[in-house]
Amino acid sequence: MNPLGEKYLRKDFLPFLFCPGCGDGMIVQAFLQAVDDLGCVDDLALTAGIGCSAWIGVYMHVDILKVLHGRAIPAAIGIKATNPSRKVVTFTGDGDCLAIGGNHLLHAARRNIDMTVVMVNNQIYAMTGGQVAPSTAVGSKTQTTPYGNLERQLNGCKVAIAAGATMVSRWSTAHPKQLIKTFKKALNHKGFSFIEIMSQCPVQTGRYLLGSGSPQFNFQWLKDHCMKEEDPSKWAEIEAQGNIPVGDFLQVEQPEFMAEVARMNQRVKEAQAKGGDR
Amino acid sequence: MKGAERIEIDRRYCKGCMLCKYICPCDVYDLGQERSDLDYLMPHVARIENCKVCGLCEQHCPDMVLTVVAKKKGKEKE
Repeated sequence: MNPLGEKYLRKDFLPFLFCPGCGDGMIVQAFLQAVDDLGCVDDLALTAGIGCSAWIGVYMHVDILKVLHGRAIPAAIGIKATNPSRKVVTFTGDGDCLAIGGNHLLHAARRNIDMTVVMVNNQIYAMTGGQVAPSTAVGSKTQTTPYGNLERQLNGCKVAIAAGATMVSRWSTAHPKQLIKTFKKALNHKGFSFIEIMSQCPVQTGRYLLGSGSPQFNFQWLKDHCMKEEDPSKWAEIEAQGNIPVGDFLQVEQPEFMAEVARMNQRVKEAQAKGGDR
Repeated sequence: MKGAERIEIDRRYCKGCMLCKYICPCDVYDLGQERSDLDYLMPHVARIENCKVCGLCEQHCPDMVLTVVAKKKGKEKE
């Protein structure tokens, strides 16, 4: 176990339940590195839904709430509302975040709640055996679409930008250095941060979509197909070639919901003290 | 010149995905014949003299089992 693991992992939960070569373990490591550099481990509160990627937070020695499928974001909002000093991070998968919990993502982004959503995208429902997910590309053959997928792909980053998230990034597990930097930025960002991480799943994505179950092949596929492009006007061109644009797409400052609630409470209290009702 | 004193592989948790061998730019690892406690073939540190302590294998290991211990500075002087 490397020193980071010795310091922050729950030893009685090990080994990781991830398959050999899964990208989720790399995300655990990158996140722990970012937390270690910032020294904010005691402020963290994690939530997780259901899926392989929801297990990422479980192995870390921090407070975690594991909830119903897709409902990780509402639970995180609850934590943030009751204790705004916490840095709330949600680990969720593409099915958990875009399909089952899609509505929650939209409204958390719209309200600009100070939290970080880490969406691990392996382009398929991996834990249940390789069914088609909203993030699966058109034409892919999966367990539930043996003649090719007809549904169009849902792009998590575009959804988050449209819904009003104030920080949006996409990286892959082949970019650990950039990932650590983005985690640090997101933890310090006041507002809704959405980080999409393209991750390799040799067992399901590899078998159904890419044609090889080798971790090395899947890793190289990510390296070859993730291209840094932060200008949204050029995304269509990259996506048409079958590649995935990555980068830090957006970071803006907007009024944060919980801070606004606190300000409103203050305003009402002052008004009531003067004899008014609001 | 940087060099590694040793590379530790935690045999309790290694799943033998061999991403360390794939990612290593200096060809340090080989597929070993030893099995970990989870019954996967583990990587074998074959050419430690090539290691430049870049930390890529450590950073890419999905099970966090690798520790690259760098040589202490000034050891050559002694």
